[in-house]
Amino acid sequence: MCRIGRWRAHGLNRSQPPFPKTSQTYQFTCEPCKSLRLHLLYLLQHRSVGYSTVALNHVIDFKEKKQEIVKPVSPSELFPSLPIVQGTSKRIKVLNRLTLVVSDPSHCNLLRSTSTNIRLYDLIAVFPKTEKLFHIACTTLDVDLVCINVTEKLPFYFRRPPVNVAIDRGIYFELLYTPAIKDSTMRRYTISNAISLMQICKGKNIVMSSAAERPLELRGPYDVANLGLLFGMSESDAKAAVSTNCRATLLHGETRKSACGVVYTVKKPRKVEEEETTLPACKRAKTQA
Amino acid sequence: MVRFKNRYVLCEVVSEDPRCRQCIEDRAVGLAVREAIARAHGDYGLACCCVSFTVKYLNAYTGTVLLRCRKDFYRLLCSALPLVRQLESRNQRYPCYFNTLHVGGTIRTCQKFLIQYNRRQLLMLLQNCTNEEERRSIRQSVLSCSLTEEQSQSGDEEDDDDTETD
Repeated sequence: MCRIGRWRAHGLNRSQPPFPKTSQTYQFTCEPCKSLRLHLLYLLQHRSVGYSTVALNHVIDFKEKKQEIVKPVSPSELFPSLPIVQGTSKRIKVLNRLTLVVSDPSHCNLLRSTSTNIRLYDLIAVFPKTEKLFHIACTTLDVDLVCINVTEKLPFYFRRPPVNVAIDRGIYFELLYTPAIKDSTMRRYTISNAISLMQICKGKNIVMSSAAERPLELRGPYDVANLGLLFGMSESDAKAAVSTNCRATLLHGETRKSACGVVYTVKKPRKVEEEETTLPACKRAKTQA
Repeated sequence: MVRFKNRYVLCEVVSEDPRCRQCIEDRAVGLAVREAIARAHGDYGLACCCVSFTVKYLNAYTGTVLLRCRKDFYRLLCSALPLVRQLESRNQRYPCYFNTLHVGGTIRTCQKFLIQYNRRQLLMLLQNCTNEEERRSIRQSVLSCSLTEEQSQSGDEEDDDDTETD
């Protein structure tokens, strides 16, 4: 029996054995228009349902004519004041996320190009439509998440080699759960696609997220973990899918901004000069506020 | 000792429409949950979960619901709860969703959790208070949150005005 109150979990709609005490979960929402932002605002204000980080999703579909990657809207513009996470005194973090729907290998070139707008997104996800693209996404592309189609029967079967490579590289597979809530046919596709994925990857590296368009389609982290049981995961895997795996994805996205995750630079205001000269380097405080 | 073991699931009914609160009654909630189980797990699931299924406690002001089912089948119930989409009573439908808070083995553990949860909610409401009188009443409610011997559910007097304004 776990207690949601102790989880510093969160997850909009969205970011979920015993839960770890401080865990972050998150959920994604699609952001088609302004009214959704108002809904999100309402939701975050009144129902911080237990999530501590939220990622807003921008979808780029290449089926239409060539689209440019637009600059993501900064969260501080959308929400002047973010509500506080239930159970702690910290504010909810809102991140930006980009999803590329690829149905052709040439679309992947966008990721390799050094366009400045891509760097502004915290997370990058890819939605492959064919088997070859799935293989490319798992083995070579520089992404954090690979989305699994839940709204229609998969045109290809998962094979073990690319999935194992993806697990080694730290790439997570994403399952959406809102279609399962809305419609009975979608639920069947979701469950069958999810179970076939589970049989290959044994429940590792799964992230559950929502693609909610309305605030009533979001579910709390405990409920999302319970839905994971329906998708064939074990209880501990389902809880991890909502908490630890999400955090790992966030960190994976952060390593893109740094030099392979080893070094990352942060601009800090300069401290008082005299403090630096009096103490020798080895005696200086390791971390500064 | 041979006895029937149950699981008590504590959830919260969340809705955008404030009129949904009138519709929260045990029969409506029970029907909605049963329908969700039938949709998710079919006839087998419905039959298993309904062996000892009741709505034990209901609080329309806060939307708190306590459900009971057998220990062997509580997973079926818990996994079907996110699929509840609406509450229906007296020919009126309100879209809503269930937010699971706690699963316990006895009513007492659920009650203890609910008291802590309500205390936290009251403290959060305290931050959004606008006038002094509301502040005072909330502080008083927080101080009176406790598990008394008569098993009374204290700490439920909240200021609903704050939760319902958009």
